[in-house]
Amino acid sequence: MSASSSAVSVPEIDRRLVQPWVPVVSLALAVVGLGVSIYLTIEHFTSSTTLACPETGALNCLKVTTSDQSKFLGIPVALLGLLYFAAMVVVSLPALWRSPSPWLRQGRVVLAAVGVLFVFYLVFAELFTLDAICLWCTVVHVLAVALFAVIVIGSAYADPGDLRR
Amino acid sequence: MSRRQRDARDYARRMRVIQERADARRGRMRWATTAIVVVALAFGVLVVAKLGGAGEGGGENASPVPTGDAATAVVSGLTSVPAATLNSVARGNDPTLPNLTTGQEVLKDGGKPLVLYVGAEYCPFCAAQRWPLVIALSRFGTFQGLTLSRSASDDTFPDTPTISFHGSTYTSQYLTFQGVETSTNERQGGSYAPLDTLTPQQQQIVAKYNAPPYVDAQSAGAIPFLTFANQGLMAGSSFSPQLLKGMTHAEIVSAVADPQSSLGRTVDGNANAMTALLCRLTGGQPGDVCTSPAVTAFEKDFANVSVK
Repeated sequence: MSASSSAVSVPEIDRRLVQPWVPVVSLALAVVGLGVSIYLTIEHFTSSTTLACPETGALNCLKVTTSDQSKFLGIPVALLGLLYFAAMVVVSLPALWRSPSPWLRQGRVVLAAVGVLFVFYLVFAELFTLDAICLWCTVVHVLAVALFAVIVIGSAYADPGDLRR
Repeated sequence: MSRRQRDARDYARRMRVIQERADARRGRMRWATTAIVVVALAFGVLVVAKLGGAGEGGGENASPVPTGDAATAVVSGLTSVPAATLNSVARGNDPTLPNLTTGQEVLKDGGKPLVLYVGAEYCPFCAAQRWPLVIALSRFGTFQGLTLSRSASDDTFPDTPTISFHGSTYTSQYLTFQGVETSTNERQGGSYAPLDTLTPQQQQIVAKYNAPPYVDAQSAGAIPFLTFANQGLMAGSSFSPQLLKGMTHAEIVSAVADPQSSLGRTVDGNANAMTALLCRLTGGQPGDVCTSPAVTAFEKDFANVSVK
């Protein structure tokens, strides 16, 4: 009897710091965002010297990427986006998701939140100041918001402090 | 304490920890979900406000395009910029020179060198480029039916004042000019309403010369495109439409008649560059134009262009 009672299955304590899908998805979003940001940065620095219109006449990003709002404190927002996603790629690496460092976990959330706030400002400028939407910019905005959602969910999954108990 | 008691205590402790962590996780997840919902709602409010018409009408309204006598005065002023003004400006403010080709057959129409312009009314860079082009061509012939226009109001450099070649004719004993405006400045679906259609010959010219190696890969296929009898090519505008921002058609015409104005020196300097190349195509005709200081200022730039 004692043998059978000691064999009663005791629920395992979930010691994972994050859901398995979170590092994969966040890294994928950050990498795609970095790619689009690189394109927009190149576009920002080259389009102003190309004094020509695309022959198709289709909506393009020029109005947005060459506007006054395309810079923040004198720095091209495309470049800021590039730096943001580069940082996101680093903090989204699976090895860093497995780190219990509270600085890293909180810093990741703060970075994602700053990104969303900036996207909010840019979308506001597109809709109400420029009256123009840049599709590539919108892709970046969607990626930043999605990244925020994934990071918030991933960070809420576990409190590293609990795992020490 | 018996082993059973220890196991029971351990079991209870684990269950308590698991329960506490589950509760804490649920709390954190609630916060996370709330944050995501708040963000989604914030963006939703922006979109709904935009769809509801907020923020519209707040921008600068472009002044109306002149009509009647006012339009006639603009066209007249532009097509008859005083020679003294152009001579005084000479090279002006760092003009953009056409890219010269080598070994290309001279493009002719009716036995005269052909200048082909391909652009569109919506395009702000085309809007800028037409100003010096009309000034230059007007030194060799006469335009009829030029109309005033603006670039699209929903593109970059919105409402840039300009002239349209659509429906116009050009008469010259020295040159032939074909001005093609492929689209209007009015939206139609995801693009702009079509206007002029390129002839098969024009399509061939554009396909060959508005592409590398004749123009930068970056500008390939873009408008405005200009070929000066295939001896000189321009893909893109000579200057930024930014310089025309906020100006009326009449103000621009006043500026190009003033050799001291910055805009006048930019537009006239580029017109002089085009004029100098055209003089090579016409064999130096008309003499009074092609020997003027406005043209001789570019003597070295086009010295290798030889048209027999």
